[in-house]
Amino acid sequence: MAFSRRNFLKYAAMSAGGAVLADTPFISAEARAQAEGGNVKYVPTSCEMCFWKCGAVAKVVDGKVVKLEGNPYHPQSRGKLCARGQAGIGQLYDEDRLKHPMILDGPRGEGKYRKASWDEALTLVAKKMQAIANKYGPESLAMMSHGSPGDYFTNVLKAMGSRNIAFPSFAQCKGIRDVAWELTFGHKPGTSCERVDLENSRVIVLFGTHLGENMHNSQNQEFAEAVGRGAKIICVDPRYSTAASKSSFWLPIKPGTDTALLLTWINIVISEGLYDKEYVEKYTVGFDEVKEAVKEYTPEWAAQETELPMSQIVESVRELCRYAPNVVVHPGRHYSWYGNDTQRARAVAILNALLGTWGRKGGMWLPAKAKFASFNDGAPAYPPASKPSLIKGDFPFAGGEGVTQVLRDATITGNPYPIKAWLVAGTNLMKSLPDQRLTRKAIDSLEFFVAIDLFPTETVMLADVILPECTYLERHDGLFKISTREAGVAIRQPAVEPMYDTKPAWWIGSELCKKLGLDEYAAKDNWEGRMRRQAKAWGIDYDQLAKHTGYVTIPDSEKPYITEDNQPVFGTFSEKIELYSDELEGEGFDPVPKYEPIEHPGKDMFRLIYGRSPVHTFSRTVNTQWLWELEKENEVWLNKKEADRLGIKNGQYVVLENQDGVRCNKVKTKVTERIRHDCVYMIHGFGHNAPRLKRANQSGADDQQLITKYIEDPITGGTGMRVNFVKIIKEA
Amino acid sequence: MPRYAMVIDQSRCIGCMACVVSCKRENDVPPEHYRTRVLEMVQGSFPDLTTEMRSELCNHCDNAPCVNICPTGASHHEEDGTVQIDRDKCVGCKACITSCPYNARHINEEHGYADKCSFCQQRLAEGKKPACVATCVGGSRIFGDLDDPQSEISIILRKNSHRVLNKAIGTGPNVYYINQYPKRA
Amino acid sequence: MELSITGTNALTYPVMHVWDWRVAIYLFLGGLSGGLMTMSAINYLRPGRKGPLQSVCCWQIPVLAPILLTIGLIFLGLDLERKLHGYLFYTTFKPLSPMSWGAWIVLIIFPVMILYALAALPDEVKGGMKKGFIKNMADAMAPHLAFLAKLNIVFGVLLSIYTGILLSTFVARPLWNTAILPLLFLASGMSTGAAVMIIVAKSKEVKLFFTKLDIWLILGELLILALMFYGHYTGDAAHQAAIMPFFDSSHGHFPYFLSIVVVGIALPLAIVLKFLEVTGKHTEEVTGFGLFLMNSSAILVLIGGAIVRFALVYAGQLSGYGYTMM
Ligand SMILES: Nc1nc2c(c(=O)[nH]1)N[C@H]1C(S)=C(S)[C@@H](COP(=O)(O)OP(=O)(O)OC[C@H]3O[C@@H](n4cnc5c(=O)[nH]c(N)nc54)[C@H](O)[C@@H]3O)O[C@H]1N2
Ligand SMILES: Nc1nc2c(c(=O)[nH]1)N[C@H]1C(S)=C(S)[C@@H](COP(=O)(O)OP(=O)(O)OC[C@H]3O[C@@H](n4cnc5c(=O)[nH]c(N)nc54)[C@H](O)[C@@H]3O)O[C@H]1N2
Ligand code: SF4
Ligand code: SF4
Ligand code: SF4
Ligand code: SF4
Ligand code: SF4
Ligand SMILES: [Mo]
Repeated sequence: MAFSRRNFLKYAAMSAGGAVLADTPFISAEARAQAEGGNVKYVPTSCEMCFWKCGAVAKVVDGKVVKLEGNPYHPQSRGKLCARGQAGIGQLYDEDRLKHPMILDGPRGEGKYRKASWDEALTLVAKKMQAIANKYGPESLAMMSHGSPGDYFTNVLKAMGSRNIAFPSFAQCKGIRDVAWELTFGHKPGTSCERVDLENSRVIVLFGTHLGENMHNSQNQEFAEAVGRGAKIICVDPRYSTAASKSSFWLPIKPGTDTALLLTWINIVISEGLYDKEYVEKYTVGFDEVKEAVKEYTPEWAAQETELPMSQIVESVRELCRYAPNVVVHPGRHYSWYGNDTQRARAVAILNALLGTWGRKGGMWLPAKAKFASFNDGAPAYPPASKPSLIKGDFPFAGGEGVTQVLRDATITGNPYPIKAWLVAGTNLMKSLPDQRLTRKAIDSLEFFVAIDLFPTETVMLADVILPECTYLERHDGLFKISTREAGVAIRQPAVEPMYDTKPAWWIGSELCKKLGLDEYAAKDNWEGRMRRQAKAWGIDYDQLAKHTGYVTIPDSEKPYITEDNQPVFGTFSEKIELYSDELEGEGFDPVPKYEPIEHPGKDMFRLIYGRSPVHTFSRTVNTQWLWELEKENEVWLNKKEADRLGIKNGQYVVLENQDGVRCNKVKTKVTERIRHDCVYMIHGFGHNAPRLKRANQSGADDQQLITKYIEDPITGGTGMRVNFVKIIKEA
Repeated sequence: MPRYAMVIDQSRCIGCMACVVSCKRENDVPPEHYRTRVLEMVQGSFPDLTTEMRSELCNHCDNAPCVNICPTGASHHEEDGTVQIDRDKCVGCKACITSCPYNARHINEEHGYADKCSFCQQRLAEGKKPACVATCVGGSRIFGDLDDPQSEISIILRKNSHRVLNKAIGTGPNVYYINQYPKRA
Repeated sequence: MELSITGTNALTYPVMHVWDWRVAIYLFLGGLSGGLMTMSAINYLRPGRKGPLQSVCCWQIPVLAPILLTIGLIFLGLDLERKLHGYLFYTTFKPLSPMSWGAWIVLIIFPVMILYALAALPDEVKGGMKKGFIKNMADAMAPHLAFLAKLNIVFGVLLSIYTGILLSTFVARPLWNTAILPLLFLASGMSTGAAVMIIVAKSKEVKLFFTKLDIWLILGELLILALMFYGHYTGDAAHQAAIMPFFDSSHGHFPYFLSIVVVGIALPLAIVLKFLEVTGKHTEEVTGFGLFLMNSSAILVLIGGAIVRFALVYAGQLSGYGYTMM
């Protein structure tokens, strides 16, 4: 459990001043502080610079956070923080933060606000929400959120009787994948993190999934570990990504044709008898149907479709099979690519099943086994929904996180019923949802819009009331259930008191409940009190969390691999891995994935693709001093030959114009050999249109601005966003 | 007395830049100034490309031009083999900066003294690894004591071919680079 | 190669620009005052000098030398990031540090220069002075003038050679890192010294003497310059790259290209002018035209000398083992 012997010895050696050096600042935060003496304090907490929620330890001197370290016990951080986590102090001390509640003072969008007290602001919010609920019904209140603030306002809306709550992490992110894997294995491929056993893998296949840029801490630690050990990486990406640079096989695939490659691989695996026969026999259903269905997908055909050399297609999959089952075809995360993405995810799931990676070393570990007593601090059950929620649209398999754009569209059309108020917490909708024009239109048609955020972003500055939350380093949240190979619990607690007139989301939500006369849903005392009660209910020592380790393991929860007495449980109807999906068939979708060709760009047009910078999180960190310094603006990657043809120089500023004639800010070109000729690449999150963000404002270009077209995945509602074509305009 | 050195496993570097930011916070390096950097060098033409990732910092050279040139003794060797700067003795003549073949130094514009990687002296004193090493997501930066044959880096250097930067100049660097590029099929 | 570096400092990336015109001026004036010490001393000591010891020769030169050196040092001081800490140069001596040597050498050189200057003061000047410390010192030194002159030859050479030694020790900067650089600075220091002699000296005979001498000094300087480039050209990649800027007229490097062109014209032209003067017919008095020839050639030499310092100080910092050569 928490105090591992190894670390303890380290600590002993450290305090003895020996030459043994510890990776980490502490064994017990308290003990470490005492060892150092003086006015140093170490506070274990959880990072919120992205959603990986690593365990962090804040070093506080004279009431100022001076350094953040990774929590050595927390399996997501393992003593390390990524660049963004290290720069968290920059978010805390960002002078552009929202500093006090603000009430719109003039027309929406002009950004004129007046300072308000919390009482005035919250009273106004409550009054408006109540009025709208009375006039149109509670269901006309919608909420969109991402990250930790969500829970507190979900509580408010549910208490009021609305269920119109959606998170971009579904339809714009991993929802599609999760649905496909639930249909196949009866489980998501991960909750806190993808359940991939990278550190033990012999071969890792990445479709997109640009690890090294997609900087989820522990997963990247394992990826580097694998590379260091000499594991083979097969990277399928039209762009020579960081991961591609570590790969034994880089397959620069024609964008949008991945399913062709996957189905062909499945065909090869089956026809060459390379699959795990026992495993398939024992754990799967529908093998024969799959075998039949993929026959048509030959390497010759795939080579044509994907524009990859046939030899590469065949050799890479054979290499993969040679080391099966200690291999993994990464399930991916951001999946809203082309609008037919569930079937791509299904193909990935099926391939993993055939190779028997689920529950195998180096494949995907089995879900941690732990039961948490349900706990809601004695709050009463929520009243039933005033009207059925709209969040699933007409997508039969849309998940509980909801389909964000459905709420947006209903807000515009007023069908099937009006949505008149938005409560937006912790998501920058103008940047996270495709077609900003619609997002703006929806906001303009609202009667009331309240935003809870840290920064005056383009979305926040459209709100009628702005409620400033304090940063993660200034508040309690959680407790967080962490489910990696083991189950565990992590804490978030303030390292310092909130700056300015800002408040934690739990407090804002709780006060709002009170003002709405929903006191029984408000926090009993304060959040720490609640967290203590929760820890008690879960049988966890709160002080151990808060004072010492910041994370505790649930004993005996780690059962990663299949053994005689550790058999996998599949939450499907058949209780087996469903290679062939009756459920999909039932709803009129292909029970086995079929390849559907997509539209490709015409002459002098390029497909706009996008991804991550390792030092930024979407749009939220561009203004953070130490991260902004490292990457002030994004570039548009353009193939060297194409650039020469168009006469564009490296570093030249250009403007992109998409198929609908929409243009983006001027953006620097990166002329490179690292990308195919038919697409251009941009990092998402730049090109802010937020004058109050002094560093970030207008720096670089916004991919979302150019994504005016999106194709909804009929199965889940995921918004395929890589379907926009741009031409390059030199003047700029 | 330990003899500190760093090994950098280039194949493990994923360019996350955690080291760069961590270093700035730990050592309070002013905006737009850095004690360490990461190079990404891509060669070849589509689709046959190779990459070298290389993080760089002060090499704490045995025969350090920056120490030799320093007129006041501000730049000096410590017993643990590291090269340090005594800020009180620094006149800011910048000779050391010009003299470093690795461009490892800069002027701290807030205070005017020369600055560079210190191997996080203050952390070593507390028994911690350097900030960049502690947070190296790729596990690419490895730190330790060359005089201890059992230290991780001693073992690595015994078992792997390694190199130092600009060996020919003869500064005797103490940052060692190992690298196995991924084999391409 | 596609190179991207995260975490660079403006001072050293994309190119190093640590030292600027202030240091260049210091090196120029340092070399020049060294030249003045030596040249004026030679003037005193050379056999066959006509006329009485003091009056003929220009006493202004020995006075000028320490003044120019002081100005140079002031510019050097201006370059320090922590000017108030300057005294630290004198709290220690670092035998391996040319910077430290420089600091101490100056301490020795100043007295030598000043005593010499005092000794060289002619009576008409002293006459104009009222009694006082300076006058007494001057009188006291006068008998030792010859000895002081000898000292000045040595220290003059030391001083102007030092300005080159300082740069030549930078192993990190290939352009500077050559043993021939001190000789180059010596030659150019001396020739600029001679040039100033020519301008200041009254006596035609003195002017002519230094005009002749300067021809050899300039020839020497040009030869050394050529050898330096040749040495780099035949050196390793870094040394070859180091002289590139001088032979590349593209936008970024144009100033260096220009500097070579100007020096390549100014110095030879100076030689020609001097040659004309030396070989020309001579009356007792300097003709206006003769004066013009001599002075303009001298000015050309000064310009050439200054450009050499500036070009080398800046170009030297462009040279190095780069970010990709490592
Ligand atoms: N530093 C950092 N890390 C992050 C985040 C962040 O904001 N910052 N966000 C996190 C979140 S929430 C998510 S969802 C993930 C997203 O990160 P991922 O899940 O890795 O996103 P992907 O879209 O799968 O990967 C983007 C890569 O796909 C490639 N690509 C584009 N089109 C195609 C195609 O048609 N086929 C194939 N095979 N590849 C293609 C692009 O070139 C790019 O390299 O990142 C997470 N990690
Ligand atoms: N074009 C395009 N669209 C995309 C993506 C893409 O790659 N390209 N990625 C998609 C993916 S994978 C995802 S997950 C989504 C992410 O979409 P979002 O979650 O909206 O991402 P951000 O742009 O970072 O917006 C986060 C917002 O939360 C605020 N915030 C940060 N921390 C806190 C906090 O502690 N409290 C509160 N109250 N607010 C906080 C920030 O100020 C910012 O306004 O975007 C999706 N949309
Ligand atoms: S991955 Fe980085 S930003 Fe995300 S939680 Fe971990 S440390 Fe923070
Ligand atoms: S790397 Fe540069 S600064 Fe560091 S010791 Fe060597 S010469 Fe000095
Ligand atoms: S700048 Fe400071 S440390 Fe560097 S040489 Fe001059 S005095 Fe020494
Ligand atoms: S050792 Fe310390 S000072 Fe040197 S680069 Fe790493 S973090 Fe910076
Ligand atoms: S932290 Fe490690 S892996 Fe990341 S960039 Fe620095 S050296 Fe490379
Ligand atoms: Mo996401």
